[in-house]
Amino acid sequence: MEGGLPFEVRRPSAGEYILVFNAPLSYDNAGAVWEGLNHFLREENPSSLVVDLSATPRIDSAGIALLRAIQRICERRRLELRFESIPPSALHFLTLIEKKEPPAPEKPPLTTARLITLLGFLVLHAWDEVVGFYRFCREFIVYSIRDLHHTRRFRWNEMLYYLQLTGANAMSIVFLLSFLLGLVMAFQAAVQLRQFGANIYVADLLSLAITRELAPVFTAIIVAGRSGSAFAAEIGTMKVNEELDALEVMGFNLAEFITMPKVIALMIAGPLLTMWANFSGIMGGIVVGIFTLDLTAYGFMAEIFSVLSMKDIITGLIKSEIFAMLVGLIGCFRGFETGTGADSVGRQTTSAVVSGIFAIIFADAIFTVIFHYLGW
Amino acid sequence: MKKDFPDSSSGTPVLCLEKLTIGYGDNVVLKDVDFCVNPGDIVTVLGGSGCGKSTLLKAMIGLLPPTKGRIFLRGEEISGNVSGRALAETRKRIGVLFQSAALIGSLTIAENVALPIIEFSKAPPKMVHDIVRLKLEMVKLGGFGDYFPSDLSGGMKKRAGLARAMALDPEILFCDEPSSGLDPVTSAEMDQLLLELNESLGITMVVITHDLPSIMTISDWSIMLDRSVRGIIAKGPPDELQKSPDPRVHAFFHRQPTPED
Repeated sequence: MEGGLPFEVRRPSAGEYILVFNAPLSYDNAGAVWEGLNHFLREENPSSLVVDLSATPRIDSAGIALLRAIQRICERRRLELRFESIPPSALHFLTLIEKKEPPAPEKPPLTTARLITLLGFLVLHAWDEVVGFYRFCREFIVYSIRDLHHTRRFRWNEMLYYLQLTGANAMSIVFLLSFLLGLVMAFQAAVQLRQFGANIYVADLLSLAITRELAPVFTAIIVAGRSGSAFAAEIGTMKVNEELDALEVMGFNLAEFITMPKVIALMIAGPLLTMWANFSGIMGGIVVGIFTLDLTAYGFMAEIFSVLSMKDIITGLIKSEIFAMLVGLIGCFRGFETGTGADSVGRQTTSAVVSGIFAIIFADAIFTVIFHYLGW
Repeated sequence: MKKDFPDSSSGTPVLCLEKLTIGYGDNVVLKDVDFCVNPGDIVTVLGGSGCGKSTLLKAMIGLLPPTKGRIFLRGEEISGNVSGRALAETRKRIGVLFQSAALIGSLTIAENVALPIIEFSKAPPKMVHDIVRLKLEMVKLGGFGDYFPSDLSGGMKKRAGLARAMALDPEILFCDEPSSGLDPVTSAEMDQLLLELNESLGITMVVITHDLPSIMTISDWSIMLDRSVRGIIAKGPPDELQKSPDPRVHAFFHRQPTPED
């Protein structure tokens, strides 16, 4: 070894160098050899190179890649290169990667025409999604109406299972988050209203905001994150495992067999969870009222009952019913849209949550306009 | 000259199992399994469904700790109270081709093969591309590096899985049912590929299979497991096992219903 190089250098004549590798050319030392070789080429100026492998005990895949790298560097510097005593197997593998790589497919340049084409594809894709979702919803509605006449066909046990999963099991998280939401809202309102001595109106503001707007939207977002994603992941995995194909081939209608129990369960759970969120949000407000506004629980509740009408609660429940249906349908739709592979399940699950939340906010905006014109 | 089935006294076997008992909880699947694999040999593990082939594989690759007994890789114990770090080091020395190929769907074929090389080797980044090309050429998938697993056929996926299993030049390669789900021609091509790799790289292989043509083509030795005894009922070269008077072995090799236990 010369000058700390991991190989021996011999110089039989001017400009001609022989590199003798005595150690294995392997994963363990390929990096060191490569660095040493680059250092050698920087220091010396060979016109021809002989790589002597007669004393190399072992050449593994990294060793082959190293020999190929030496070939490349010599081609680039126009050096004459010869491998001495290269084992036949190493030579065979070297010729395998010497083969010209197939050219990578060329990416067309980003011209205006191409941009318009891409935009067109995006619009078509979005349109396909809308049409697909419309057909999916239509099938769900048709089979729901049919099962109203043939209640025995409906999968009650399955629906009860999902009701527990999406409703009862979500009660604790809905309570906690709505309680905190009510608490924060009442606290923020109190800071402003206290300046005008209008402490009691915290109850009015809180009860109306919670029942009409916050509880339905907030609950629906929790449901989209918990249940919409779970539906997409479950159905997506079934699709990847060809379980959906099996059900279809056996003659089951997937809308009836898979979608209906889930969406109907969510449509029952949604309003119930919203009622629960109304209760817990107001509880959060009462806590703030008692501890920071010197109000009594009775006074706070009396104010709520004086301002809150049945209409306020019902508008919230109508919203929550539609939100739950949208979240359920979007979750299932995304599941059915799954392609092949685990990554597709992940993508569709994310998409179920994102599209679910978008649909909730969009529907809420529509409801606000409708209720405004109806005078509700 | 007739060769004896290798045991722990025959030179330095690559892999040795010593009185291995494996199970899940109280359910013992295999007990007192003993065998060794010599360098460069291809050993097939045979047996009907439910005989414990896959359980044995899980134990050999460190996914299922044995209840009793020991496993040695080149004389070094890899079972028992082995630290996580030691187990990780051992896993770099073995390659596994899973039954489904188990390629990562979000990565291209080249990225799948490059993954262990980038993570676990000291190969300079510049050379990773060439190593990946070499591995793909070895399994006759040159030019498919940019494809995703979902774009490939079953046989191609298995070959890509094989390229990934061999990425770090393992000392021993475990293959779980390499020909399952493949048509006879692709299955024969897979056998041929395993033989070529064994010949050109001298790689030692343990192949779990119940595909008779594969067994007869690739095996130096075969080990037959049986559910009734929860262990090995026969071992030896496959052409000898084929002539075995044991009714269970005979039934397996002649595709007959298993005699009543």
